[in-house]
Amino acid sequence: MRTNYQHLVANPVASMPRRIKILKNVVLIALTIIAVRLFFIQIIEHDAWVAKADEQHTLLETIVAKRGEIYMMDQGEPVAVALNHTTYQIIIDPAVTDKDGIKHALETYAKDYITANLDEVYNSEGLRYSIVAKNVPRDTANKIAEENLSAVWFQKNNQRVYPEGEMASGLLGFVNADGLGQYGVEGSLNNLLSGKDGLLKATADVNKVALSIGNDNVRIPAEDGKNVVLSVDRGLEKGIEDLAMDAINSTRATNAAALIMDPNTGEVIAMANLPNYDPANYGAVKDASAYINNVTEVPYEPASICKSFAFSAAINEGVMTAETTYFNQGYEIVDGWKIQNAEQRSSIYGTIDMRTALYWSLNTGSIYALKLLGGNPSAITQQGREKLYDYYYNKFRLGQATNIELIEAEGYIPDPNEGWGRDSVYANMTFGQNLGITMIQTATAFSAVINGGTYRTPTIVKGTLENSEIIEKEPENIIEDKILSDDTSAAMREMLIHNRNYKVRGGIDKPGYAIGGKSGTAQVVRDGAYDDTYAELVGSYIGFIGPEGELPKYVIMVKMWGEGQSIDSGEAMNLFDKISNYTINYLKIKPKV
Amino acid sequence: MSIIRKHKSDLVILFATLGLMALGLIVIYAIGPMRANVLNNTYGTDYDSNFFFIGQLRSVGLSLLAFFAAFKWIPYKYIKKFAKPLMIAALVLSGLLWILSMVGSSLVKCELGECRWFNFGGLSFQPAEFLKLAMVIYLADFLARKREEGNIGKWQEFWLPLSIVCGLSLFLVVIAQGDLGTGVALIAIIFGMLLIAGVPARQYLIMLALVLAVAVGSVATSSHRMERVDAWLTTLTGGESTDSTYHVENAMLAIGTGGMFGVGVGNSVQATGYLPESINDSVFAIMGETFGFVGLFLIIAIFGVILLRMLKVAEHTAESNDRLLVVGVFSWTLAQVVVNIMAMTSLVPVTGITLPLLSYGGTSMVFIAFAIGEVCQLSCYTSREVNTNEDISSRRGIGGSRHSGSRRSS
Repeated sequence: MRTNYQHLVANPVASMPRRIKILKNVVLIALTIIAVRLFFIQIIEHDAWVAKADEQHTLLETIVAKRGEIYMMDQGEPVAVALNHTTYQIIIDPAVTDKDGIKHALETYAKDYITANLDEVYNSEGLRYSIVAKNVPRDTANKIAEENLSAVWFQKNNQRVYPEGEMASGLLGFVNADGLGQYGVEGSLNNLLSGKDGLLKATADVNKVALSIGNDNVRIPAEDGKNVVLSVDRGLEKGIEDLAMDAINSTRATNAAALIMDPNTGEVIAMANLPNYDPANYGAVKDASAYINNVTEVPYEPASICKSFAFSAAINEGVMTAETTYFNQGYEIVDGWKIQNAEQRSSIYGTIDMRTALYWSLNTGSIYALKLLGGNPSAITQQGREKLYDYYYNKFRLGQATNIELIEAEGYIPDPNEGWGRDSVYANMTFGQNLGITMIQTATAFSAVINGGTYRTPTIVKGTLENSEIIEKEPENIIEDKILSDDTSAAMREMLIHNRNYKVRGGIDKPGYAIGGKSGTAQVVRDGAYDDTYAELVGSYIGFIGPEGELPKYVIMVKMWGEGQSIDSGEAMNLFDKISNYTINYLKIKPKV
Repeated sequence: MSIIRKHKSDLVILFATLGLMALGLIVIYAIGPMRANVLNNTYGTDYDSNFFFIGQLRSVGLSLLAFFAAFKWIPYKYIKKFAKPLMIAALVLSGLLWILSMVGSSLVKCELGECRWFNFGGLSFQPAEFLKLAMVIYLADFLARKREEGNIGKWQEFWLPLSIVCGLSLFLVVIAQGDLGTGVALIAIIFGMLLIAGVPARQYLIMLALVLAVAVGSVATSSHRMERVDAWLTTLTGGESTDSTYHVENAMLAIGTGGMFGVGVGNSVQATGYLPESINDSVFAIMGETFGFVGLFLIIAIFGVILLRMLKVAEHTAESNDRLLVVGVFSWTLAQVVVNIMAMTSLVPVTGITLPLLSYGGTSMVFIAFAIGEVCQLSCYTSREVNTNEDISSRRGIGGSRHSGSRRSS
């Protein structure tokens, strides 16, 4: 029809319908391009964009579990010895923050914590992230947060605080910068203390605020760590640490370790490693060996202390009593080695009984016990070695980790039948050399010797503290093994008390108390052999205390040493004397009336 | 002329327009609170979560008023009498804005360094939007007159006055206000109308080439505009992200995550601060995230239908002036839709242009609603026949179609 009118056009400048058609085509082409483009972005590239969006939108944050606190006991009440202190870092986005507002807030509330020059921060172009204050306490951070400033963030920092300072550092350990417990209780019970971090996965807006949008938002709450209560008594710990430090200061010893445990329950009530370090500033320690808990982590040779174990074995086997006699010639030759007694006074040569041998700590006496164990009073036999091994390793569990809740070394007990020179090795073992055992193993075995003959796994964790209430720990893997007869134990107690008769006479051990003990001075192995110059000696002493006529209440063990220093057991014994008296006073152990 | 009887308007344009406004309202309702939240958190402002929805509601209300005013209440024949004064008023307003912005008057509202708004106690007004409408009305009048006079294509009578008016307008918008988006829309309006005005093809193409050359030149000499072009090319070719590519990348991210059916109303994550201008210039991208490919396809189809119906109205409009007006509105709408969406999909550089009827922003919606209202009014006066060229062609509307959508006889 349109052609019908063509002839009427006076001055056909252009064909209008054709030009409208051009515009139509422009519309169709443009919209088609757009539709194809959209199909490409939304359908073909969809997955790639979703992945990219996830990357941009997903907020993945760890909800840090609160680390459990560590408590000791004091007068029957738990007291904290490791706490958490939360501080904050303040971070700003200098580009968008309310510059005057944040400056004012920081200078008003947190002046002491500002770590950056704010004017400089503000003038740095392109800077979107700047830490402006550190170690800000919670209250202060809250005050600044209440100002509702934009583009200001708070980053939480958990610090471990030890209210007792350096006390019991070797026992407690520390928490490193990554929040990981290291050494001591912090290390051994790290899993229990640290709890379980939670996770926050959410779709977040541009300011990293979680949104309710999104299907795979996850919020796993953190499980806070448990508060651990140790059976250690804070006051006692402090007291014996002071005594041990005095001992270090007044002798050539540079180090001391001490342990007090209840032989009837296995509960450790004091464990000291001197000198201490500051666990809050653990990085200042130059020699990492300072971190080590000597009581549980270092196998050593407690020397003559082990005579108690050899004697117990022989008595328990019924082949020996305190009255059994032997001929002491001051030395013994085994496998071609001459083993001498330390004590060479003439009055004890000749035929003496075992009580006397223990009193003077004669190596010939304990070797005789080994011979008796083997069924041949004149020679060390395979049976003797195997019996001693059975007692040391299987019954006293020396050279085995005790399973106390701390980091432990195992140590070792030589095999009775393997290798060269077994007899001399086993002769040495009767007086505590040629083996490697820890203080805790020694004290636990010693507890069995004097508590009536029952080996009990030592513990140092009383339980957990929940809502100020101690939840006693379920006994777990606790070994209770009657390894010695009551009679054996009684005989050993009698001889060990006898050892300290002169202490009673000297007024050191108070009347009304039964205090027994055994010393040990160990030579140090140098270049694969015992150093006969005695240039370096490690002094140890172990004993028990309790009211006269009753089973012992506590076992106390002391070790003192210093590199290149000869510390004899006399010095360890002096420290034991002080600790035993302190313990009796502190714990108000009543004497027999 | 009088033989064409008034009939019902083009209902398709009417309902498509109202539908788009409603859709825009829904989307702003969903993402307005997020926008408020982002602004409050980032700039410490204190927007109520319904601030933007209420704003949009107000804009839609005013736009409906403008739409029906143009559609029903004010006959176009009165408006076209004021073509020249309207144009002068629009130029004066833009000029005034420029002058006031230079003296730093509080009556001028600036955002991101560009001063494009008058500010009257909380109410803002963008003269560039008015200028677009004025330009359409003025050019319709001017071109129709020149056609009648037979002066189309003549240098002194036609090109010179046209160049002065258009050049001045473009200067005030692009240079003074730094509003490249409106500049693009104006150029589209001018060339759309010139095409239908019957400018000889040769002259038309020469002028188009000239304007394009000037445009390319102005882009190439402005580091700010080159940066946008650079960003566009980077995004298009998948290069390293930079600050300048952030906007387009996040627009595409929004569109891309929408997939086939979208994440649903209220579930947009990109609107929570990642996508700049999420409620105005980038609203199409948020719609892509919300409604997916199906939704966007529908939106494009609706715009397509509006645009094609406008052309149909133009085709069937008898009066040259009326037809030019319709084409002017068509060109305006087309430019805004295509340039906005192509920018969001990285097909062209970002120019900062609103999506008609959907973007947040009062002035732009009110004026385009008014313009579309005019088209609706004129759709009541179409003839059944296609107008081939001149007004002297027969227009027998008697008993003809009631609206432009009727079958075309051939």
